[in-house]
Amino acid sequence: MIALNSSKTWKLSSYLIALVLMTPVLVMLVQGISGSTQLFVHLWQTVLPTYLLNTLLLGILVIFFALIFGIVSAALIAHTNIAFKKQLRWLLLLPLAMPAYLVAYLYTDLFDYAGPIQRSLRAFFDWQSPSDYWFFDIRTLPGAALMLALVLFPYIYMLTRAAFEQQDQNLIRASRLLGLTTKQSFYKVALPLARPAIAVAVSLVLMETLADFATVQYFAVNTLTTAIYDTWLGYGDLAAANALASVLMLLVLFVVLAEQRSRAGLRHQSTRPNANRELIQLSFVQQVFAGLFCWGLVVLGFILPMALLIAMALQYSDMQQLSLLLLVGTNSLKISVAAATIAVIIALLLGLYQRLHGDKYRQWPQQISSFGYAVPGTVLAMALLSTFGPLDHWLNDIASLAGLTAPGLILSGSLFAIVFALVVRFSAIANGSIISGIKQIPQSIDYAPASLGVKLSVSLAKIHLPILTPTIFIAWLLVFVEAMKELPAVLLLRPFNFETLSSQIYQLISDEMLEQGALGAILIVLFGLLPIVLLNRSKEKL
Amino acid sequence: MTALLEIKQLSIILQDKVILSELKLTLEQGDILGLVGASGCGKTTLLNAIAGFSKLSKGQISIDGHVLSDGEKTVPAERRQVGMIFQDYALFPHLNVRENIAFGIAKLNKTEQRHRITKLLDILKLNEHEEKYIHQLSGGQQQRVAIARALAPQPKLLLLDEPFSNIDARLRNELMVEIRQLLKQLNTTAIFVTHNKDEVFTFADKMAVMAEGKLLQFDAPSNICSKPNSYQVADFLQLGSWLPCKIDETGVNSILGKLDTKDLQRDITTFAPPALVNLLVKPQQLILTERVTSTHPANAQVEYISVTEQGYHYYLRSIDNKAQHHDLLFNKLSLYSDIELVINQQVAVSIKPHNFLFFR
Repeated sequence: MIALNSSKTWKLSSYLIALVLMTPVLVMLVQGISGSTQLFVHLWQTVLPTYLLNTLLLGILVIFFALIFGIVSAALIAHTNIAFKKQLRWLLLLPLAMPAYLVAYLYTDLFDYAGPIQRSLRAFFDWQSPSDYWFFDIRTLPGAALMLALVLFPYIYMLTRAAFEQQDQNLIRASRLLGLTTKQSFYKVALPLARPAIAVAVSLVLMETLADFATVQYFAVNTLTTAIYDTWLGYGDLAAANALASVLMLLVLFVVLAEQRSRAGLRHQSTRPNANRELIQLSFVQQVFAGLFCWGLVVLGFILPMALLIAMALQYSDMQQLSLLLLVGTNSLKISVAAATIAVIIALLLGLYQRLHGDKYRQWPQQISSFGYAVPGTVLAMALLSTFGPLDHWLNDIASLAGLTAPGLILSGSLFAIVFALVVRFSAIANGSIISGIKQIPQSIDYAPASLGVKLSVSLAKIHLPILTPTIFIAWLLVFVEAMKELPAVLLLRPFNFETLSSQIYQLISDEMLEQGALGAILIVLFGLLPIVLLNRSKEKL
Repeated sequence: MTALLEIKQLSIILQDKVILSELKLTLEQGDILGLVGASGCGKTTLLNAIAGFSKLSKGQISIDGHVLSDGEKTVPAERRQVGMIFQDYALFPHLNVRENIAFGIAKLNKTEQRHRITKLLDILKLNEHEEKYIHQLSGGQQQRVAIARALAPQPKLLLLDEPFSNIDARLRNELMVEIRQLLKQLNTTAIFVTHNKDEVFTFADKMAVMAEGKLLQFDAPSNICSKPNSYQVADFLQLGSWLPCKIDETGVNSILGKLDTKDLQRDITTFAPPALVNLLVKPQQLILTERVTSTHPANAQVEYISVTEQGYHYYLRSIDNKAQHHDLLFNKLSLYSDIELVINQQVAVSIKPHNFLFFR
């Protein structure tokens, strides 16, 4: 290592930023855990066991469904001659763009007693009342798990498929020469080798499940996230909400650790990606079933809900809706643009710090700031409320002491809190893209300017930033989209009467009136498609 | 007695590109064949075709009299009883040494499995490492595991794809000798691919030289060495350096003088005079006269010097006294000698009479 930068300001600001981003979560954890034991005893004797049990049960069921959906589809695409493979390859990613609560609402609408399916069944068989027949109830815990799995399985599909495709083809060939058929080789070699990737994907799914709020709320399944929301907004009990949030945070920490461990297992990289591997030949009947399975997932996870939304929009849209959409859309845009811009600037600062600074622990600020991705929106909201609330009071006290007019809740009651929450939550995404972009720059380019007598600030402006421009754009876009979609943090932190696209859709869903917001919902899904398109394109290039 | 491996008129054409063309090859039980050729000449494709990973466009591959591949059918790889040792070994990282070796013999009963594994672990000196995972082993140990794994199902034919290229040079020779002894002991027929001819000389009983999808020569290594059948073979194997000669009614002339061809076994009349040919000159066939005299006038000068374990290695360039010989000039005649020369030093060189090898 030569000529690394040693700017003190850079060092100080990097650590400070990382610290500030993580402080609220720390404050909440300390408050939550050190909260009165009485409170915990009370919670434990009343609601906590149910919440915990429901949360865990939900997690297990989602993983169960998502594993079946994800691994089977990945295996079919990577290892068999399934028809329409080229199309299914990317179509299977689309459900990721669908927020689970939308799917939940649309399917409830479709399948419940007053929905078109049961209505036509009753009309056809001449049933008079619910007691005349049995029909599955979608608004249950397993139903919620199924909804979540339908939109989260692409994580497992994506990572498992990539694992299959990157396995060294000679491993499969070796197993063939040792007497195993293509099918046996899949079970005995390809699948076991994909285990670490599957484990990583499962932890991502679990994190998303633990963070989900709207789906379970809509299905009235009491999990920790809904409990936090109700305790705070319903009963105004900050301490109890904090305690619950801490419990959820500990669960998430556990998942994060599990994920880190399984990532360590992802070492087997191959120089000979499995491009022209021999495929398992499906018989006609198998083709039909495989096709039904994959297309079923695509239809149920994306095409059908999207079609229902479009139908709604066509039927119910009017000018009034459009102007409302414009209003809340602008709000969403405002906070998302702010959050994306700040997150990218921070990511650049910390990413370049990690690359160019002489500090021995230079990767720490970036790693600390990346931790926010694991914090569920509800937990993050509680953390900000419990940190910024007292800060606001303190500021007001100082102002009145100084004889100034009290500024009010400038931190906890303004857009500042929302943007802050979004930055904390999505910094990891910006960091990830920026870091991988920086890694593409050869180390020698860091040193070349100095060897030509050019200062670091000039080389940053003239070399690093221009090279990173596409990366910066992608990072910005990814954070922007996630910020547009984020619901629970916005719901808990928004100022009075401030609606965003997602919070408005959630309200309409709660009031069973999604028809009024179908256009906005479509917009959210379309935004959600952006990163998938980007992701798919960068994957294809590899 | 039928040959163990018989390849007839094998052609592989992929997207209008001829990868292998009209290949013919037979191996007897226990033969070890070294397959050499520049990269991209089709060696790996040939191995893949034998293993069952590439479809044939034409021709036939049979082992022990059973046809495995022809233009129509391809017996799947798992039913060919062909073993393979991959360049990077392709050991299963999720299994330990014993499980790797046992992978291909799962159908046998436990006692038989145990017996074979123990024997292989013994022979390959892997007993201490039985429970270890692949990443805990050194490169040489990994290769032993790969060999053990490939031998466990007792394949009729063993394929080795550049098996020694990842082994460091000092260990390589030792390993080659060891593995050769093992294969001989088990009477295993094997084909191994390399781009290093020295490996063939150490390891193989037979040698096949390939270029651009064609089999140029197939014989015992010593025969190929002494009688390469074409310029390409001699040049690829670097069996010597090239001296341009002119054949006319007077005999064979070069810048190093007229060659004594009266005892020549090979008929040089195949080259219709006047013809320009290349003589394959091995370093030991050159005589160096350091002191230039009027009877031995200087005809070459030192162009390049390097030091080797066999003394000094020189590249010589011709000195053309008579301008009319410009098509007989040479610039890279290879010569080994204990005599110390300096760059541009003029010397006299002559050629010992021997069984001259001329090529177009």
